Parts: sequence; structure tokens; C-alpha cells
Amino acid sequence: MTELSTIFNIGLLQNTLRTATPVVLCALGCLMTDHVGMTNIGVEGMMLIGAFSAVMGSWVCSSWWMGLVFAITIGLLLGLFYGVFVIKFKSDEFIIGVALNTFAMGLTTFLLRTLTGQSGTFHAPEGNLSTLPRLSADWLNSIPILGDLLNNNTLLVYVSWILVLVCWLLIYHTPLGFWLRASGEHPQSLRSAGRSPEKMQYLASLICGMLSALAGAHLALGYLSTFSENMSNSRGYIAFACVIFGRANPPKVFLAALLFGFIDALGMRLQSVGISSALTSIFPYIGTVLMMVLVVWRTERRKKKLAQ
Amino acid sequence: MKLRKNMSYLLSLFIAVAAAFILGGVIMALSGHDPIEGYTLMFQGAFGTQRASANTLAKASTLCLCGLATAIAAHAGIFNVGGEGQLYLGAMASAWVGARLTGTSPWIAVPLCLLAAMLAGGIYAWIPGMLKVKMKVNEVITTIMLNSAAIYFCSFLTNGPLKTAEKGVSAGTDAIDPAFMFSRIVRRSSLTESIFLAAIIALVVWYLMKKSTTGFQMKLTGENERFAKYSGIKSSKLALWSMVASGAICGLVGMFEIFGLHGRFIESVSSEFYFDGMLVAMIMRYNPVGIILMSLFFGAMEIGGAAMELNASIPSSLIVLIQSIIIFFMAAEQGITAAFQARRARKKAAKALQKGDAA
Amino acid sequence: MASETIVSFRNVSMQFPGVLANHDVSLDIHKGEVFALVGENGAGKSTLMNILYGMNTPTSGEVTIKGQKMTHFSPSQAIERGVGMVHQHFMLVPSFTVAQNIVLGREPKHRGLFYDFHKAKAITDSLVEEYGLTVDPAAKVADISVGLQQRVEILKTLHRGADILILDEPTAVLTPQETDELFSVIRRIVKEKQMTIIIITHKLYEVMAISDRVGVMRGGKLVSVENTADVNERILASMMVGRDVLLGQLDRNDPIVTDNEAAIEISDLHVTDNRGLPAVRGLSLTVHRGEILGIAGIEGNGQSELIEAVAGMRSFTKGNVVINGKSIAGMNAGQVRALGVAHVPEDRLSTGVSAPADVTDNLIVGKEKLPRFSLFKTHMKKRAVRQYAREISEKFDIRGAGIDTAVGSLSGGNMQKVVVAREFSFETPVLIISQPTRGVDIGAMEAIHQLIMDKRNAGCAILLVSADLDELYRLSDRLVTVYEGRITGEFTPDTIAKTEISYYMTGGRKEADA
Repeated sequence: MTELSTIFNIGLLQNTLRTATPVVLCALGCLMTDHVGMTNIGVEGMMLIGAFSAVMGSWVCSSWWMGLVFAITIGLLLGLFYGVFVIKFKSDEFIIGVALNTFAMGLTTFLLRTLTGQSGTFHAPEGNLSTLPRLSADWLNSIPILGDLLNNNTLLVYVSWILVLVCWLLIYHTPLGFWLRASGEHPQSLRSAGRSPEKMQYLASLICGMLSALAGAHLALGYLSTFSENMSNSRGYIAFACVIFGRANPPKVFLAALLFGFIDALGMRLQSVGISSALTSIFPYIGTVLMMVLVVWRTERRKKKLAQ
Repeated sequence: MKLRKNMSYLLSLFIAVAAAFILGGVIMALSGHDPIEGYTLMFQGAFGTQRASANTLAKASTLCLCGLATAIAAHAGIFNVGGEGQLYLGAMASAWVGARLTGTSPWIAVPLCLLAAMLAGGIYAWIPGMLKVKMKVNEVITTIMLNSAAIYFCSFLTNGPLKTAEKGVSAGTDAIDPAFMFSRIVRRSSLTESIFLAAIIALVVWYLMKKSTTGFQMKLTGENERFAKYSGIKSSKLALWSMVASGAICGLVGMFEIFGLHGRFIESVSSEFYFDGMLVAMIMRYNPVGIILMSLFFGAMEIGGAAMELNASIPSSLIVLIQSIIIFFMAAEQGITAAFQARRARKKAAKALQKGDAA
Repeated sequence: MASETIVSFRNVSMQFPGVLANHDVSLDIHKGEVFALVGENGAGKSTLMNILYGMNTPTSGEVTIKGQKMTHFSPSQAIERGVGMVHQHFMLVPSFTVAQNIVLGREPKHRGLFYDFHKAKAITDSLVEEYGLTVDPAAKVADISVGLQQRVEILKTLHRGADILILDEPTAVLTPQETDELFSVIRRIVKEKQMTIIIITHKLYEVMAISDRVGVMRGGKLVSVENTADVNERILASMMVGRDVLLGQLDRNDPIVTDNEAAIEISDLHVTDNRGLPAVRGLSLTVHRGEILGIAGIEGNGQSELIEAVAGMRSFTKGNVVINGKSIAGMNAGQVRALGVAHVPEDRLSTGVSAPADVTDNLIVGKEKLPRFSLFKTHMKKRAVRQYAREISEKFDIRGAGIDTAVGSLSGGNMQKVVVAREFSFETPVLIISQPTRGVDIGAMEAIHQLIMDKRNAGCAILLVSADLDELYRLSDRLVTVYEGRITGEFTPDTIAKTEISYYMTGGRKEADA
């Protein structure tokens, strides 16, 4: 019983939130491109470059919000870059995604070496790397569990929660959202309505770039305040899986990201009782595959039902 | 016509490579290094000594096998992104079998290990292949997911049930019998006898894709599956088997790493080798001969890049940058050509619409 | 009738690669009329209307709408000028509801930002009421029938404020009842709302039923504009086809057959379509050696599914197909082919060829394991293959390209010749042919017709489906009409007139069958 309480406690939930936040941000970006019919696995690279730009911005200007500005600007540029290749040049979105991830790895490693002279992990020389502020409200402390959970998180954690709502409203409750979805599902119908599906696709890839870069910013300036090579460490792919898992619906994707975060956090803790974290880490991925199979199976069944 | 198309492709490839190298040179110059010196060091690092050339060749053979694995599946219209996972499982299976068979004759043990690697990789590729063929589940996404699952699974085995009791080994499975190891062709290089097996595999894949009736049927399946089905080609079967073959090749790559270099399964058996090979295959549009040649080029860049870093402290990640720039250029070229084709196709479609037989 | 010009084409030409789709077309459409644009497949009707809707930019000439010249061709400008178009392939988002589709692009908002679901529904309701086109605003488009989807399309254009409505082959997908309803709607909106309707069709009885004036197109040119009251179907048909003189006589001989056995026997066949809905419902027929059995029907009455089922490309739910004495139940296309069947599919681009592959590859498919072309069925003899491809493309007169050209870049006629050349050179006793000359030029059409006839004369059993009645009359020994997946009558071409047969194609039945 004592073991159980060392695993299942408030810290587990706090860790869940922490690990989930970058995934949530990135997945929100990724689901935008999903809605306009683009399969963007380049989010991994976008997140990595975002993390690097945030650290550079924060270090050079000694302010966290300049870090965010850097990350957002670079993220938008990355989104534009991705969009130009996929929409304008009609390159294979998958090739561009893979190439972007490779490029991100090369670029960040190279720039880290040449700009700071450090390799592997970046330690701000003067120690003036400004990290994201943590927010707390005193009145929340009086509530037992919720207080611990909701207080003392970085700014971007709260931003990500707001963004889930914003994205949901945008996609399902604004005309723009209808155009976004139409451009993914039946672009010609949008075109014949006198609106450009390409514009929607550009918009989605810009948002995707921005949010993925923000995810990177949270990764670098949130709890660690450092940049290290390959620090995104497949979180982009996890975000991508969440989008599939949550069927590109923001609240569902958010829950999927929390689930991933929970399993991750649980894995860390299970290690202390001798259960391998590697084993628990497998579940989300297998879960995503099963989810995909289930989705296909359900549509098939619905089709059959409809026919009868 | 065909020749002209190939020529124009080679020309744009040449321009892309040249442009990427010039850009790389500019980056070097901007970061305070002499580009001429950098590239010279890189070339020497790749080919300067016998050992360097051997390392280049070894690197190229890995890239080439991974590239061919991508190509053989893509040839039949199925996209295997899961090679990394198949590679890990192949390595793990062969290392496990190898360690079990310690003491037996290499003539029995090594073939069994080869078989184990191929089976592990093949079966792991069969799963997404089956889901794709039977249920139309997107194989790109499932294979990406299965990659991570396999890598974590191997990590679990290495740190858990299969962790070696040997002292002084931080993480790894039991060692395989040294008698089973491929011997090195050039001393202190990573070039081992596995290169001959790799060459045979490359030859078989090339023959299968380019010269055989099966390859012809695979090609048609990849180009237009409905047409293949209509023509009586067993397209589902072909797609599935080409996926399994792709996985088996990846499994072998893993086995070659273990039996050539490490002697036991370690978690760092591959650092995204498959993705590098996949990019080579994409640049060469899944052409087997092109993949073999481009692998040499990429292999030389990677080995040379490491030397460049060592001798001139130019970060070797510059090589990754140059490589990805080549891919971007080629993707853009492909895109611009595709845009032309799309324009033509659009007109054609409009024409077809007018004739009332648009899809 | 007021004859105020609302749309005017002046010397409009449209050049697509290899095809002059519109050639110097000048046409005035009057306000408040129903104008029918008729012509065969490929005559240039849709292209002309796509220009009016801004989907195509003409190569030369100009278009004036309500006195204003079109400056650039885009749907948004066309919509602005009051043009609406209901495309043959609907422009609807399947996962959206009816209301959401109707307001797409012009969504009502509340608080200036959010999509107003209530208002969208109210807009739809009021449109439904105003025009009498009943649809459920809350239904998902994916879940409603094709006829209802068309209504949604019409309502959508009306919501966008269209007073010039283009309908591209609106009845092709409708049941006769739905067609009647559509026509009464058209009459009503013309009368009550002073709308101008342009209807593209190739069904002449519809022209007579609905239109005030009719324009006939042939080969990209507008050959005639008449008041509907002054013409009849026969006159229109001769203007439309205008090729009786063009097509030479076919060599129809007594077929060489040793016996008069049935080669294809279909009994009580039931097949479902892609959506799982019944398409073929209890169809039985027999094709004998040395005869061409033509199937006449309006597209979408189960012909496609029937052909696919017989060719082994679609499973059937009930009944049986026996080819050369063997049941094909459970067989795939390859196994059916092995029974001695060759198949010219209806859609050559998606099914009949591999567009990126070259002519050689497309000609050799299915023969690659013959000893002539491979060693031990494994090693391809490239030289023998190329030699064969050269022979065949010469024999079948595939022009405009060498054997290394990608098939996708060939013209429709030559692409179809590639399909016919491959399939006919299997030398099979049974042929299944669907839409053999759709969208091909007259020359290729004549060649293909003769090839089909030669096969018949040589004793093959041929099942032919075509949307082109003239083609069916020219080739068939026997004709059956199908409607909603059932046979409605059987004829020989010389015992029934083309005008009469359409009665059976729209659900009428022979007394004996009723």
C-alpha cells in the first residue's frame, strides 16, 4: 500500500500535466493541418527548432517573452516554408516532413556549436537564461488537490488550455473553421463557393508552425531552461499520434495528450518499483495503432449498416 | 523519351547537389571556416586512407540496404516508414539467437541468426502491411507508431529480462559467440564480411525490381492498384510480400550491425539509419541503381563529415544540413515538375469532365 | 416573351492540349428562359458552361453577363454576377449538414465572429419554403440520397443569389420521378422568380419537355440555335449526331461458330454499389457465341456494377454468373480472365491503364508470364516485349507516340486503342466491353467499332454496355434495356426505334414482362 501511494499521488498528476503540455501545443498545431488534409509529420522538427529559437531569444535578450517572440516568428516561417513546398510545389508532404525533421536536427546542432560554441546541451554562459514565469493564485491553494494541480504551472500550460478551447471554437464554431474543414474534405466545394482552399491550407500550416514552435519553447524554457540536441525526442510523433487518437477534435486530442503524459509519468514512477518505463511507454503507440484499426472497422460497420 | 526524362532528372539532381554544397560552403564561410579546407578534409576523411574508404563503404552499405528496403515496398505502392523498428527487432532477435547458440558451429549458427533477423523484421512489417492491405489503415502512420513501440520494447528487454549478467557491461544483452562474428576486412575499420551479403541482397533487389516479372507486377500495383487488380495481378499479395521483404532487409541490417560491430544487442544499435536510407531512396525516386550510387555519396559525406569535425572543428551536423537541403531542392524540383503535370492533368480532367467521364 | 440578353458569348474558343474544346462559339441567352444545351459526350457543352462559371479561362473570345464583360474568370466573379452552377459531380462536403453546405462561403455570423447555427437553419428553412424544395437542414449530406443532394446544390446556388442557374446533366443521376420533380421546380422558379436556366443534357425528350430554346453543339462548335417549338427530337438528333454520313458501313458477316452455346449466363444477379446499396437487382441474361448483346440504359442503373461483377472485380450478393460453363462466384479478376475473358473497362484512366507507365508496359500486362516474354515465368525478356509492343501498336494503329511514351500523355482515342489492343490480343472467346468509344474521336471510334465487329465475326461472345445509343444500334445483335438494375425489355435493333427504346430505359416495361 505504501508503494501505491508513492506512485499514485498528486505528483503523478503534476508530472502528467508537465509532460503533456508540449504535446498538447504541438498536437493542436498538427490537428489544424490534419483538418485541411495535410499529414504533417514535420511537427517534430518544428518543435525542435522552436525550442532552439526560444532559448536563443531568451538568452540574447535576457527575457523569456523575447524567447517566445523568437519561437513564434521562426515557427511562422517554418509553417510558411512547409506550406510553400506542400501547397505551391505540391511536394510529397511526407518527404517534406521527414526532410524537415532531419533539417531541424542538423540546423539546431550546427547552430548550437557555431553560435554558442557548446555542444550537446546548452548552458547559458552568464546564467541569464530567462525562463517562463510560473503563475499561482493564492485562493486556489485552499482547495486540496486542485490547488496543487492548478497552481505553479508555467504560463504556457495555461495558454495551452485556453488554446484547446480556442481551437475547438475556431474549427467547429466559426465560418473559418468550416472553410478549413471543407478545404480538407472537398476542396472543390470550397473553391466553387468562391473561397480559396489553398489559403486555408496556408493558414493551417502557419498555425501549425507557430504552435509547434511554442511547444518547443515550453520544452526549453518551461521546467528545464536549457536546450539540448534532439530535445524534442519524438514528442512531435506523439503529438501526431494524439491527433489520430483524438480524431483531430481539440478536446479529444487534449485528453489523448494527457493520457500519453500520464502513461509517461506513470512509467517514470513505476521504475522505482522495478517496472520498466520502457514497457509502459509502448502502450500509447500500440494504442494509437489499435485506435486506427478501430476507426476503420467502425466506418466499415456503419457503411454496412447503412446499406441494410 | 525515357532517356531524356532520366537525363533531365540527373541534371536537376546534379544542380541540387551542387547548390547544396555551395550553400554548405557559404555556411562554413559565415561561421568562420574555410570552405575549401573543409571540403578537402571531408574528402580526405572519406577516402584519404584505406581505413577511411572502408568506413565509407561500410556506411554506404547500411544506407543502401535501408534505401532498398524503402524502395522495394514503395515499388508496390506501400510506404514502409517502420524500418527502424524492424531493424531493432532484427538485431534483437539475431543477438538473442546468437547468444543461445554459443558453442555450436558458425555454419549452423550464423544462418539461423540471419533467419531470425529476417523473420523478426519481416513479421513486424507484416502487421502494418496486413492492416493496409486488408483494412486500408494508413501504413505511414502505423509504421511510425510501431517504430517507437519496437525501440521501447528492445530497451525493455535490454534493461530487463535479457540484461546481461556480465560485469563491466552497462547495458546490453548477453554476448554472442565471437566465432559467429563477421571478421573485419580492413583492420580497425567497420567494414566487415557482411558487405558481401549486402552486395548479394542489393543485386537480388535490383533484379527483382527491374528485371523480373514479379517486379513488373509490383510496379503496376504501385502505379495504379485498381488497374493491377483489373489485370488479374494479385496486387494485395504483392504489396504485402514486398512489405515483408522490406522488413526482412531491415532486420538483416540490424543483424549486420550486431554481428559486425557490437557483438551483443545494445540500445544504440542504430541512430536512425533507416531514415537516412529512406531519404536516399526518396531522392533517387526508389530507383535501385540510383540508391546504390547515392548511398556511396551520402556515406562518404557522413564519414568525411566526422573527420572534418575532428580536424577542423567544423560541426559534422553541417553534413546533415547539406543532405536535407538536397532533399528540399529535389522535392521542390519534383513539385515544380508535378505542378506542370498537374496543370496538364487539370486540363485533361477538365476535358474529361466535358466529355462526361471524369472520375 | 421578353428577349433581353442576359449572358452573351462572343467568339469563345477554348484550347486544351490536343483538343479544341470550344471553337468560335457565339451565343446569347435571354433573361427568364430555359435554354437547353445539347450535344454528345465531348461536344464542348460543359467546357462552355465552366467558362461562364469562371472555372475555365477561354483561350480567346469574351463573355458578357448582364452587360458587364468578365474581366477575369473565377467562380467568385461569376457568383457576384449572379451565376450559379450545379455541377455534374456535386460540390458538397459530405460530413457537413445540409444547412452548413448551403451557407458554405457565406456563413451567417453572430457576434461578428461565430458561425450562427440557428440562422443557417433558418436560412435553409426559408429557402426550402420559398422554392418548395424540401430537405432536412440538419441531415448530413453523406447520408442523403443523390436526388436530395442535387436539391442542396440548387438551394446553395439560390442562397448565393444566383439568377442564372446552370445545371450540368442534372438528370443523369435521377430517377424519372425525381426528374419530374426537378422539372416542375425549374418551371416554377423561372415563372415566379424570373430566373434564367441553362440546362446541359443529351437527352432529347428532356429538351422538348423543359426548354424554350435549344442550342446544339457538335465537336466544340455551336451548330444551331432553335426555338424548341420549331424542332422535334429527330431533327435535334440529326443535328447532334451529324455523323450518319461520317461513319462507314461495318463488315457484319455470319459469325464463325461451331456451336451456338451460351458463353455468358447470368441468372438472378444481385450486386451492390460502393455505398452498399443494391445496384443490380435480379438480372438474368445470356450471351451466345458470335453475338453482341448490347445493354442500353441511362447511366447509373446498375450497368457499371453488372460489368464489374461479370469481370470478377466486384462480388455479387445473390444469383450466379457462368462463363464458359464455369461459375465465377468468389473469383477475382485474374481467375475470371483465366476462363477466357477479356474486359474493356468503362473508365480507362482509373481502371484501363496505368497512366505513368509507358505504352509497352500497358500492352504487355497480363502476358508477362507467357514463355514468349519470360524465362521460367521470372526473367522478363525485355527485347521480345518491346518487339511485341511495336508490332501491336502498329497493328492497332496507336498513333502520336512511341512505345516508350507514358500512356497518360496520349489522347483519349489513342489511350482507348491501347486498352482495346491489349484486351483484344488476348484472343479470348468472351469479351466484356464497356463504353468503348467514350470521348474518342470519330476516326478511333470507327476503328474500334470495326475491331469489335471483327471479334464478333470471329465467333466471340460480346457483352457491350454503352451510353451511346447509336453505338449500340450499330453493333448489337440483340439489345436489352435496363432500369434500376433490372431488365425492362429485349429487342433487336431493327425492331425498335431509338425514340421508342428510351421508354424502356426509363422504367417502362414490355407488356409480357410486366
